[in-house]
Amino acid sequence: MFESLPYHALNGVYYGFILFMIAAGLTIVFGVLGVLNLAHGELYAFGAFVAFSIVGYLTGLVAEPTGPVTALIFGAVVLVGSLAAAAVLLPVGATLEAAFVRPIYDRDDVYQLLLTYALLLILTDVMKFVWGAKPLDVGVYDGLNAIPTTELFGIDYPTYNVVVVAVGLVVFGWLVWFFDRTKTGRIVRATAIDREMATAIGVSTDRIFTLVFAMGAFFAGFGGAMVSIGPGSAYLEMGLSPLVLSFVVIVIGGLGSLRGALVGALLVGVTTQVVTPYYSELELAVPFVLMVVVLLVRPEGLYGTWGEIE
Amino acid sequence: MLEARNLRKTFGELRATDDVSLQFGTTDGEMVFIVGPNGAGKTTLVNLLTGLLTPDQGSVVVHQDDGDGSTVEREITGLAPEKRVDAGLVRSFQIVHVFEEMTVRENLRVAVLSERGETLNVLSFDDGHDGVERTVDDLLAQFRLEDVADEVADTLPHGDRKLLDVAMSFGLEPTYLLLDEPTAGVATREKEYVIETIAEASDADDVTTVTIEHDMDIVKSYADRLVVLHEGRVFREGDPSLLETDGELRRVLLGVDE
Amino acid sequence: MSRARLSAENLPTSVRVVLVVLGLGVLLAVPDLARVTPLSFATIHKGLLFGLAAVGLNLLLRHTELVSFGHVAFFGTGAYGAAVLATYYEVSSGLVLLAGAVLAATAVALVVGYLVAGHLDIYFALLTLAFNQVLFAFVVQSSFFNSTDGLSVRVGVDRPSLLGLDQLLVSAGLDPVQAYNYVLYYLTVAILVVVVLVTWKLVNSPFGRALDAIGQDRTRARFIGIPVERYVWIAFTISGIYGGIAGGLFALLQLHVRPEPVLFAFVSGEILFMAILGGVGTLVGPIVGGVILVYLLDLARFYVTYYHALTGIVLLAVVYFLPEGILGSLPALGAAIERRRRDPGLVRNDVETVVTSVRRSVRRAVTTVRILVFGVN
Repeated sequence: MFESLPYHALNGVYYGFILFMIAAGLTIVFGVLGVLNLAHGELYAFGAFVAFSIVGYLTGLVAEPTGPVTALIFGAVVLVGSLAAAAVLLPVGATLEAAFVRPIYDRDDVYQLLLTYALLLILTDVMKFVWGAKPLDVGVYDGLNAIPTTELFGIDYPTYNVVVVAVGLVVFGWLVWFFDRTKTGRIVRATAIDREMATAIGVSTDRIFTLVFAMGAFFAGFGGAMVSIGPGSAYLEMGLSPLVLSFVVIVIGGLGSLRGALVGALLVGVTTQVVTPYYSELELAVPFVLMVVVLLVRPEGLYGTWGEIE
Repeated sequence: MLEARNLRKTFGELRATDDVSLQFGTTDGEMVFIVGPNGAGKTTLVNLLTGLLTPDQGSVVVHQDDGDGSTVEREITGLAPEKRVDAGLVRSFQIVHVFEEMTVRENLRVAVLSERGETLNVLSFDDGHDGVERTVDDLLAQFRLEDVADEVADTLPHGDRKLLDVAMSFGLEPTYLLLDEPTAGVATREKEYVIETIAEASDADDVTTVTIEHDMDIVKSYADRLVVLHEGRVFREGDPSLLETDGELRRVLLGVDE
Repeated sequence: MSRARLSAENLPTSVRVVLVVLGLGVLLAVPDLARVTPLSFATIHKGLLFGLAAVGLNLLLRHTELVSFGHVAFFGTGAYGAAVLATYYEVSSGLVLLAGAVLAATAVALVVGYLVAGHLDIYFALLTLAFNQVLFAFVVQSSFFNSTDGLSVRVGVDRPSLLGLDQLLVSAGLDPVQAYNYVLYYLTVAILVVVVLVTWKLVNSPFGRALDAIGQDRTRARFIGIPVERYVWIAFTISGIYGGIAGGLFALLQLHVRPEPVLFAFVSGEILFMAILGGVGTLVGPIVGGVILVYLLDLARFYVTYYHALTGIVLLAVVYFLPEGILGSLPALGAAIERRRRDPGLVRNDVETVVTSVRRSVRRAVTTVRILVFGVN
């Protein structure tokens, strides 16, 4: 019964990295701006739709893969297309932050929630306007899997999943590097810790907030693009469940913590994928049960520091 | 009488409170002042006494009148803060903690309602208790807050906010009142006024006050007894005149001993 | 969190009495209004029920300042409580079904409330959301609750009986469906009035003041002797009971209960937004917000293709221009209109203000994109 366990676990890792890309954006936006962005799932969906258009256009320019080399070229084109799709989210995110979110930082949390919910609704219809209400599949999944990586693992495993895991690792590595090693990253962290102090030493918090929001949108969009080029398709409601799951992930990991988001995402991904084949009735409940347990035992999350007494 | 017995609390490597044994309220309405350099463990001690922190070792005990003249010991070490209020132990914070969106009167009212055990009452109106309203009026007068009674707390000047904070504590009819720097952040010319008002109220109601204070002039004029903490331990205990006579104590307080 | 003090309470008593009478009048006249106008009776009814749940949520939001993101859990529990009684125990009395709904919601609220009472802010919000989703997942996967198809609230093909009042109307010559809906509607209005009165009493009692204290400064509340967690637990349970009543009535209205509309976490968000939309600082604002939001989400789709965007824009307008919510902003709005009636020149200023703020938003956005794309301003 359990011989397929490693396979499910691998699926969990893949799924976990998708979750991580979405949750990472959510957690840095929350950590720095203090805003829980309900429209984050729509940015993810937006990325999926843009990827449909861009990747579809680009792969139209190259031939379908026939051998390992053409397959590699094909894969590279798909990846470049996905990156370009995510890049489209940068100005989108920046615009949303500058035009809508910026005027309400001083307001009650509930108004920030209401605002991002309004953005969620509007974004849904923007996508409906541009791409229509039907699910769209760019259809590059088989082409990607023509790249032979199966031998690498000794078990039959789609190349696409390997690509997603690799991309997820790169994203994590880049984020850690950005926040730990670059000057801008350190300024962002300083701003997150003490907004007034950052302003006092001459940091433009407006710029930082815009940058962070745009980054969040970028990674959400990248996650969406990764799903879009896979077996799934882009559809209007696709943002809802990843948004809710991202809450779970960042709460388990500790709000505002990147490492926490990764561990949380993998935990949620692997547990869900491992439990589901055996106890399918638990599929929907597993992440939330996990979250409840973590919160009740360790309210600040696995890597969080929140909750200290003054 | 409120008693700390061998209290010990460490944060990682730091011994914030190290084997502290003290008694407060050995005489009625005693005003004890706790002084010491920064990091001496003053606030930690108050937190241990009032239940915001639990000690690693030691106990907190109150000696209560059992009605027929004799006293009984009651250990309150593990008791939640709100339960300690019932035992007569009340505190204020270094940073003013009042209900910011309520008026001064409403702030006092909710404290007095709590003291009377009325906060689960849903059948009356909050301002419909005559006894409570009278007590609130008395507190307003006692702490000279009548003029601002209907002002919202977060619009008050700092001195008044401090007084409101302390007035709420008195509204709880404490036996022991622990004040963490009641004059912190108060303009110099208002300090005297704040502490004088506290002293009067404490005197009138026979409340034992334990006050953390940095202003030695205030300590000298108001203290019945002085407790000096240093590196988590009781360094000196006794008459406030020690401040004039004890050279080593002066060095510790000025922070020039290292 | 700091919130401006109640603006509605500044209204003179006479105005408030007029408003209350007017509101009640409109409520009672809804079935007749719906007959002569294109308004949808059923949608308004549904809106009132969600509004009722929002009143409960607002008890937590306004007083203890806790944001619940899982309130539809109690609405759903109530609805399913009624449905289970009807489907498995063949209970046909509407009142018993309602009692079952309240009982079920109370039980769940007691458990959830106990577990979340010690948490704050975003953690409270996300914990309530998690419990909500666990419940949803449980119901969706359970054959007892008939998964996504849900349960019927009828016994056989019969609608539940409503104290025999519906039969009375039928014998007076009314269509049975219409009779049932009318009686249920007036039952809803009656319950709504009672709940609003109870809430009014509650929030103006010493207990209500203690909840305010907890919301404004938890530490201080604890140190004036208020057992914070226990009181939050009680308030949470009361607010869950409101949800249960609303859910039970919803089951009676829909006669069939499915998990998506009554248990999915996003509906919890909608209940939260109803309260904010109508006015957190007011007693009946959440009901107004409930009717408006349900109307927008349910019916606008028949008139506008992009009804989501329409709803979004309405909510944006509330965020930017009616910071106290629709009802909460009424006094300020009334005063503003009065001023403009006397001095029509002010309207031009308003237009200018709106234009400038939109222009400023656009300019910010354009600058940002320019910096992003070209690297310089």
